[in-house]
Formats: sequence, structure tokens, C-alpha cells
Amino acid sequence: MKPTPRDPDPLEHEPPLEVRRAQEERLRAVWAAPRGWRYWSEVNNTAVGIWYTATAFLFFLFGGVLALLMRIQLAVPDNQFLSAEMYNQVFTVHGSVMMFLFAIPIFESIAVIFLPQMLGARDLPFPRLSAFGYWCFLLGGVFLSGSILFDAAPRGGWFMYPPLTSSYQPGIGADMWLLGFSFIEIAAIAAAVELIVGTLKCRPPGMRINLIPLYCWYVLVAAAMVLFAFPPLIAGSMLLEVERAFHWPFFDPRGGGDPLLWQHLFWLFGHPEVYIIFLPSVALIAMIVPTFAQRPIVGYSWIVLAAVGTGFLSFGLWVHHMFTTGLPGISLALFSAASEAVAIPTGVQIFCFIATIAAGRMVRSVPMLFTFGGLATFVLGGLTGVMVALASFDFQAHDTFFVVAHLHYVLIGGAVFPIIGGCYYFFPLLNGKKLSDTLGRWAFWFLFVGFNVTFLPMHFTGLRGMPRRVFTYPEGLGFDTLNLVSSIGAFVLGIGVAIVAWDIIRPKKKQPLSARNPWNAGTLEWLPAMPPENWGVRSIPEIDSRYPLWDQPNFVRDVDQGRFYLPDAEEGWRETIVTTAIDAKPVQCLRLPGPSFIPFWAAITLGGFFILGTFHWWVPALISGVVGIGVIWYWLWVGTAPIPEKVNKDVGLGVTLPLYQSGVPSVGWWAMLITMLAVFTAFVSLVFAYFFYWTIHEDFPPANSPGPGVLWPGLAAGLLLGAWAATLLARRYNRADNAPAFYITMVAGCGLALAGGAAILAGPWLTGLEPSTHVYPAIVWLLAIWTALHAGTGVIMQLYCLARRARGRMTAQHDIDIHNVALFWHFVAATAVITVGVIAGFPLVK
Amino acid sequence: MTDVHESRESLWRLIVSPTIWAVHFLLCYITAAIWCAKYASRFGTLGPVRWLIAGYTVAALIGIALNGFGALRRHRFEAKSVPHDEDTPEDRFRFLGFATVLLAGLSAIAVIFAAVVVVFFRDCR
Amino acid sequence: MAVTPPLAVVGPRTSLGLLAFALLAGCSGRQSSLEPAGRGAERIAELFWWMSGGAILVWGLVAWLTFSAVRGRVAKHTERQARLYIIGGGAVFPTVVLAALLVYGLGMMPPLLAPAPAGSLKIAVTGEQFWWRVRYIQADGSAPVELANEIRLPVGEPVEFGLESPDVIHSFWIPALGGKMDMIPGRRTRLVLEATRTGTFRGQCAEYCGTSHALMAFPVVVLGKAEFARWLEQQRAPAAEPVESLAQQGRELFFLNGCSACHAIDGTAARGAIGPNLTHVGGRLSLGAGILPNDREAFVRWMAQTNQVKPGVLMPHFGMLPPEELNALAAYLESLR
Repeated sequence: MKPTPRDPDPLEHEPPLEVRRAQEERLRAVWAAPRGWRYWSEVNNTAVGIWYTATAFLFFLFGGVLALLMRIQLAVPDNQFLSAEMYNQVFTVHGSVMMFLFAIPIFESIAVIFLPQMLGARDLPFPRLSAFGYWCFLLGGVFLSGSILFDAAPRGGWFMYPPLTSSYQPGIGADMWLLGFSFIEIAAIAAAVELIVGTLKCRPPGMRINLIPLYCWYVLVAAAMVLFAFPPLIAGSMLLEVERAFHWPFFDPRGGGDPLLWQHLFWLFGHPEVYIIFLPSVALIAMIVPTFAQRPIVGYSWIVLAAVGTGFLSFGLWVHHMFTTGLPGISLALFSAASEAVAIPTGVQIFCFIATIAAGRMVRSVPMLFTFGGLATFVLGGLTGVMVALASFDFQAHDTFFVVAHLHYVLIGGAVFPIIGGCYYFFPLLNGKKLSDTLGRWAFWFLFVGFNVTFLPMHFTGLRGMPRRVFTYPEGLGFDTLNLVSSIGAFVLGIGVAIVAWDIIRPKKKQPLSARNPWNAGTLEWLPAMPPENWGVRSIPEIDSRYPLWDQPNFVRDVDQGRFYLPDAEEGWRETIVTTAIDAKPVQCLRLPGPSFIPFWAAITLGGFFILGTFHWWVPALISGVVGIGVIWYWLWVGTAPIPEKVNKDVGLGVTLPLYQSGVPSVGWWAMLITMLAVFTAFVSLVFAYFFYWTIHEDFPPANSPGPGVLWPGLAAGLLLGAWAATLLARRYNRADNAPAFYITMVAGCGLALAGGAAILAGPWLTGLEPSTHVYPAIVWLLAIWTALHAGTGVIMQLYCLARRARGRMTAQHDIDIHNVALFWHFVAATAVITVGVIAGFPLVK
Repeated sequence: MTDVHESRESLWRLIVSPTIWAVHFLLCYITAAIWCAKYASRFGTLGPVRWLIAGYTVAALIGIALNGFGALRRHRFEAKSVPHDEDTPEDRFRFLGFATVLLAGLSAIAVIFAAVVVVFFRDCR
Repeated sequence: MAVTPPLAVVGPRTSLGLLAFALLAGCSGRQSSLEPAGRGAERIAELFWWMSGGAILVWGLVAWLTFSAVRGRVAKHTERQARLYIIGGGAVFPTVVLAALLVYGLGMMPPLLAPAPAGSLKIAVTGEQFWWRVRYIQADGSAPVELANEIRLPVGEPVEFGLESPDVIHSFWIPALGGKMDMIPGRRTRLVLEATRTGTFRGQCAEYCGTSHALMAFPVVVLGKAEFARWLEQQRAPAAEPVESLAQQGRELFFLNGCSACHAIDGTAARGAIGPNLTHVGGRLSLGAGILPNDREAFVRWMAQTNQVKPGVLMPHFGMLPPEELNALAAYLESLR
């Protein structure tokens, strides 16, 4: 065995007091939040994370009020409390709000707050991206939820099945759903990119992949799932919106479309979504349990197995939402099998928690109470999940209140209880005050009893024949009493939520500060003194253990006295350390951008594109979109990859790190790669749509349709591959500092890309494919437009590189811009080749 | 001699087995779906589909076994046992090996679960 | 005050209590999958009870393990034992149980999806916003017998339903007889049901299909074979001529007000195909797709307040007609038995 170099130790001696004071002053100044109205330009993860969480919680309360309205309506048979129209809006908005405006955002917002703290990082790698995500979320969320006050809300169910939502619901409700949530999903993907890069690249030195807190494993998996789960829905929403706006018949059987395609795309998102909600919540349990068992988790590797395994298997379940659509039995059976298999990793993690409790000495506390309540509830939901996963049973249970009961057991047990428990656990880290134990207990019992009284009877309501999504029911079918009991329970549950809300907002001025690390936890997020400072960690520690606060001697003292890395902000920059993905060796001192309103304006202008589009005001929408692109250009221009005043920086303990990185070691490259994986997944969904149409039609492409021909698409592929090659060459010339060659190849690249984009559109245009007549021309057009848009975006990026080099913001050494653009062009090239292969090549093969 | 240096390590190895499961699963589904939609009638026989699925399954299980047994050696590197929680490249090496073994096990079970369906279905009903 | 009692004590007690309660609450299971009257429903209900028993056992086991983990003294649980928990309880036990369940569940599927034997009764049902068009296919190839919002079946015979929709997705579900099947525009799905006892049941649309999704139901009557044959024969016959003068007047009004543009009454000039066929509407068990009783008052209410009774319905209301005309119309429709 080779001897490995020993990790650096913290400074042996305490730095002199005045040095420490001066360091603290500088850190405090750099990390201070702006004051007054400029506070809203803050981008630091703690501030943004708290806004994000608070907003998501408000949406939760809003969704809860909608649920109570539904329960009032269903309390007695033939009730007139809500009209049918209103009830349908209420249940649509309830489901949509809880899924898109509460469950997903709260996972991301909690991670935005705590991920950097658990990783001993000062912030996430792209603080402005988090702020942008937040503003998008707020804007889109308010727009969507507000619509119900104007009786204009979507009313097609949160699943939005066409043709109901395509041809039978005029009005802007459905457009609002499709465009508004696509906008919010883009923000969610942005946050996912940030969380993945944060977990892989912004760990403290020494925190090898076998030492990272379990929470981070879960977040890594969940964020990766977002990348592959959301794009199919975005692609589907795009198809449905295009059908609504321009009558391209993607889901309309009269034009060769098929409503089932939407169900495939929707549930390809919808089922992983459940686990995207569940995993980060159970991750909170994975942090709470070791703390209150006062010992390390038992079965760390098993939990990693569970998280990663669930992440994969959850993509093989989507058809179990379509068991009654008449698909061949063998298809149903395959999905039944995967749906049973996914219960195995879920069981594993629950037993890891039980084993940890068994092997430790449990301390009683409110977070543990919620943990137990959550597990008890979730296990029951999991068991009914195993039941509905069997297609034969689901033939009866599907679309009944049995499923309503099941999904609430899973989501409230698997997400809401752990999140409230996490709230009681982590609250001191927000402002130094604990929540009330007494109120916490009261809240728990109201929630737990109320929940079970509401949802346990629903299993029987459903099996006794009550379908979901009905605004009323007749008397005497055997579910009158059950419904009344559920409605009463819902209000008990509501009281529990109200107690939690009160405990959070009640004034705590007079309450003494919490002790530091009040629960005696072992992980890094518990380092801060009370109340916490904005800088996150005083110095970034060297990690030797999964539970450094328990295992590393004098750890808190050494961090506090700045004996570790980056104890200072000499140059007045917000900084954190970038490390390698596996062994967390430091590779860069990353300078982070400070407060700015740019993310806010970017969200407003891009949001304008979607919101104005909802009203079919195409011109203002387009203007808003173009301005949005301008804002983003400006954002990148002034805010990213500044050339540092020196090459390297001494970060302490004898470690000197570069201030600039490009290519694979940089965080920007990873962010681009991950984003493009998501974009590419959306593209694959469109290609899937093409072949889906092939399977359902005897004759596809239809014999009488000319198709886009071979000439123009072939030419387009050639031109775009040329543009790709030119971009790669330009990168090489830039590195070689051969400016003339760089400019020539890059300009040539632009030209080729523009010509390629035009050529791919010329195919369907010149052969006269009319997209509103049949689904074949429609899907060909859509693939061509998708590719052309990629080429167009590629041109903007090429122009950006030209401008950066011309203005000296990109040089031979400082070339992250062109590295990332080249990476983007790899994906454009792949997209072009596949598109051409499909639209021009497949008709030949066939 | 085993090299535990970071540059020889890859996180992708962790997800080889679940990826094999995913490919196996999709192949089974797509093969059956295309056969029943394009080539067989409503209650037509599954014919070659069952043999194809059996073939996919054998191939997938071999792939998972290779990945799993390789990882098992990593897990047992220098005969240390769990919890693999030391701050050394060796323990990181063992940990990734062990997690890979576990994922291989889960993937194998999931592949077998999927393959079981051909026992029960002989036609496209 | 212990932390775990909520799981270990309150949970099961609550669930068992509610279970008993749910079983006692009302015996009017016309729409209940737990009081089966069909081959498929019987099998699925049996599966449900077995799985529920198993689920309660597993839940109790997990709760008990958690409880003992909290209560146990540290010395009792070494790390090694804790690992056995994970491997035994977390990995092996679920794998074995799930594998067994999967094999059992998959084994049930082929019979549930089996085609009806050749020569079985075939009924084409179309789900439309928000009612059911029902066509009994004639074995001799003659025009099918069309009715609406009511299905009658012979006991003990597999019946094949061919399911379609011209507008949005609906789902055809008679819980007492068996599982549901979606009706998807552009596709034709099938469902085979076999009633095992006579009686009157209720079916309902199970896929959200728009404003009045909740008001899209239908009575299902399972008859003895001879009785069923008589009923079908009677449905095949054209409409009876009205005898009562009020009804005769109603017949005039029916054509005068253009009702025949949408509704067909076999044996008359009314051939509309947009709305339900009314040939024997007076003999059906309910009006408005399972939401109103079938009497004169209900007919009047339906025609005068169509949109209040069933929001979003396609049929225009005829509230502008004077009450006596509505009454006459109702008398005519009621006479169509």
C-alpha cells in the first residue's frame, strides 16, 4: 500500500486575538446582507433559502385551505357549498400547489439553506442562480394560485389529461397551468443543478465521498432525478400548449395524435416526482435519528444503496398510473414488478433508522416524535402502495379514494411529518431561537390524530365505490358517514398545522437564545454560534470523520479561531473552496458573486414571456423574452468568471489554490453539463413521441405525406456539425492565443450554425408539411424547430465568446466561456444528428 | 496491487448495475409494446418476445454479476469490514465497492422480478 | 411519557376500530367493491382482504420493533445485531414477501384480462360528457339495440364490453362486478365482466371528465337469464304509442320543440343521435345518468333546470316552456316504457 500524504492539521497555535478580530470584521463586512429595500438583492444561500422556505410554507397553507374547502363540500351528500366548477378548480389547484409550489420547492429550499452548512461551505457555487430560482418560483406561484380568486384557475386536474384539457376547456386556466408550471420547473431544474454541483464540488477538504452527511447523498440523488424527471413533463407541456394554441394535434386522435402519449410523459415525470419529494424528506430523518440516538448511523452504505436504488427504480413505475388504460397485460405486469421492487430499498432505510435507534440511547424530543409519527404513517402508505402496485388490485382501487388515502399516507407521512420535525430540529440555526417543545407536542398530536381520522376511512370510502375528483355524491351509497368522519378529521389536522404556523411566527424577542449545538449533533451544520453569522463557517475545516463534531478533538474551537482554511476575506470577496468530487481535495478558491438585483430582473422578464404568453399576447411576450435574454447576457457578462488579480491564493495551512479554473475542474463546466443533460432528456422525450406515433399507427410516416425530404435535413446536419467543429477549433486557437484564427473560426462557426438552423427548417417548409393537419408533420416540425432553437442559442453563445475575447474578458488562459460553449455545442451536434436521423432517415428505413 | 488513487476511481461504476436494470427494463417493455402494437393481434401470442426477454435477462444478470463481484473484491480490500468510515482513500475505495455490491444485489432482484412476468403471460391480452 | 405509544398502541387500535366501523357503516353496498357480485370483484376483494391482513401484520411488526428499539437497554443491542435488523428486516424479509405477493398477483392477471368466450354477449358502451350510450350488439348482425344510462346483464355469463369515447377520457366502472377500464378517444378498450348474483348495482365514471364528472353514473341490473332475454326483447321493440291525451300532447311538443334533433325514439320520426336514445326511457331506473329518480316530476326538473341539475351538460334547458307543456312532455316521456 502506498503511503498517502497526511491531511494538514489545524494551526497549532491560536492566532492572536487582534488578528482574529480583524479577520472577523472583514468576513462580516463581505457577507453582510444589504440593508433597506436593497435587502431583496441578497443572494446568500441562507437569506434566499429562508425566503424560499417561507414562501413554500405559505403555499402549503394555501393548499391546505383549499383542502378544507373540499372537505366541507364532501362532508355531507349533495352539498351545495361549492359549485361543480369551483370544486374542480379547487382540487386542481390543491394538487398542483402541493406538488409544484410546496413539495418540490421545500425540498430545494431546505437544501439551499443547509447543504452548504453541512458541507462547511460558505455558500452554494452559484448564489445568483438560487436567487433567480426563487424569484421565478414566487412570480409563477403567485400568478397560478391567484387565478382561483378570479374563477380562472386551471380545472383539468393536476394531471391535466387531454383531450379534456386540450379541446374541452377553453379559457386561460389550462394555459396558465402549462406555461406557469413549465416556468417553475425550469427554476426547479436550475436549483437542482446548483445542488448537484454543490454536493460534488463544494465539500470541505477531506470530506471524502464515504464521509459526506447522508442528507447530501439524498439531495444528490433527488436533484439528479429532477434532471431526468422534469424534462418529459416540460416537453409534454410544450406539446399540449402548442396543441391548444396552434391546433397541432399531438393528443387529438382526429389528427392522428393520442391522449395516452400525454399520460406517458406526465407520469414519467409524475412518479419519480413522488420520490423526489420523499427522499429529501427522509434525508431529514437520516440526520435527526443519529443525533437523538447519540451515535453514528448504522448502515451508512445501505442508506446510500436505498437512495440511489430508489432513484433508479422510481423511473420504472410510471405505467402503474395507467393500469386501467387497456395496455397489454405484459406491460402492466412489468410495471407491477418494478413497483414491488422499489419497496425493497424503501424498507432498507427504515430498518437502518430502527437499527440506529436500537444500537444507541434514544433521547426523547419533538423532532423524534415527528420522526416516529412520520414513519408510522409512511409505512402504512408504503404497504397500501404495495397493494395498488399489483395491477389486479389496482383495477378496483385506481382513481378512487383508496388512492387518495394511499398517496396522502405516503406524502404526509413521508414528507410533511419529517419536514415539520426537521423544522423543530433545525430552527435554532435560522435565528438562534428554539421552537416550543410544548407547542410542538400539541401540534404533533393534533396532526397525527387528525391525519389518521381524515385519511384512514378514505381507504374504505374508495373501496366502497367512491371515485376521486367528484364534487358530490348521492346519499345512501355507504360512504356518507365515512366522508363526514374524514371532514371532521381534516379540521383537527388543520388545527395542528395552525399550531405549527403559530409556533414559527410567534414573537421570540424575549426568548433566550438556544445553546450552541443544542441537540449535541455531530455534523457540520451545527457549528455556528447562536445566533449564526452570515458567513456560515468561521473557517472551512479539514474533515476526518462522518461526525466531526463528535470525533475530531477541539474541532469547534479550531473552526472558531480560524485555525482552518479561508479564515479571512483579505481581498473583500465572498469565497469558498472547490474540491474534487471523490476525495475532496481542494482545487480552487472560488470567488462568489455578491448581492444583485439582476436575478430578480431576469426572473421578471423571463416570467413575462410565460405569463404574457398565457394570454396569447404573443408580441409583448416575445419582447419580454428577448429582454430576458439580454438581462441574462448582462448577468453573465458582468457577473461570471471575472479574471482574478492574481493567479493563486494562499487559503491557509500551507495550501495555495488557483482563483480561476476552466474546463472539467471548474464548477461552471459541471453546471453546463448537468443542465444540458436535462435539456437533452426533454429532446429524447420528443423523439420518444415520434416513435410512439409509429407504434400506434399502421402507417407512420403516412405514405401520402411528403416528409421533410433528405436533402435539406442532410445539409442541416452537415452545417451544424461544421459549426460544432469550428467551435472546438476556436477553443483550441484561443488556448494557443492565436487570435486571428480564433476570430475566423468562430465567425465561420456562427455562419455555419445560422445556415444549419435555416436548413433544418427549410426541410419541412419547402415540402409543405402542414402541422395542423396531422400529427406526423406536427412532430417533424417540432423536432426541426427544437434543433433550430439549439442552433440559435449556440450562435448567441458563439457571439458571446467573440465579444468576451474582444473585450479582454476571455484570454488564452481564462477561457471558461469557450469551454462551456464548446460543451453546449457537443449537445447541439448530438441533437442535430439525432433529429436528422429521425425525420429524414427513419422514413427511408421504413 | 490495487491502486486506490482518486484518479483511478469513478462514481459511474456505482451506477453500472442499476443502469443495466434500467436498460433491461426498457428493452423488455419496448419489445413487448412494439410486438403487441405492431405485430400481434389483440389476443395474439407473445411468440418471440418471451424468448427475447429471457435472453435480455441472462445478459443483464451476467453484467450485474461482473459488476457486483468486482465490487465485492473492493469491499473486502485488505480484509477490512464496514462501516468504511475512515478518512483514507482505502476506506473510500471499500465504501464505493460495498455500495456497488448492494446496488448490484438490488438490481439483480429487480431484473428477476421483471423477468418473472414471462412465466405468466403468453399472449398480448 | 413515552414517545412511541402513538405507533404501537394508538395506531392499531384506531385502525382496527375504524376497520370495524367501516364494515358496519351502512349495508347499502350497491357500489361497493367489497360486497362483490361479479367474478372479478370477488377475486379482487379476496386479494384485498389477504393483503390487508398482511399489511396490518407487517405494520405491527415494524411498530413493535421500533418500540423495542426505543425501550431496549443499550447493552441489549450490539452493532452486530443492529446490522442483522437491516439485512433481515430491511432486505431479506421484504424481498421474500414481495416476491411471493408479486407471483400471486401476476398469476391473477391473465384470468382477469381473459377474453370472453366466443358467442358471449357483447355490449358497446360509449362514455360521453356526461352520460353513457349503451348498445347491445345483436348476434345476428342486425342493428344494435341502443339505450342509455342503464345496463342490464344476465347472471352467470361473461359479457364483453367494448368501450369508446368520442370526447374526453372516461372510465367505465361497476365496482360490485369488477375492475374498471378507461374509455379513451381514438382507442377501443375492452372489459369482460361476469355477474355472479342478481340484484341492482351502480356504476360510475371513474376518470375525471369535466364539470359534472361526479354526475355520470348508471344503474346496473343483473337478471336471471330468462328474465334478461325478455327484457332485451322488450328493448328491441319500437316505442309504444301514447294513450293518455296529455302524453299525446307531449309527443307533439317533443317534435315541435326540436327534441328530435338530438334524441331518437325508435318507431317515430325522432332520429337524433347526439343525446341519449329515449325509446324506452320511461322504463329505466333513473334519469340524467343515474342522478334523478324516474318520475314525472324529475322529467320536468331535468328539462327545466338542466344546467342546475347537471352543470356543464350539453343539452340546452327548456325552462322557458310553460309548466303545462313541460308536464305534457314529461307525461309522454314517462309513457315510453
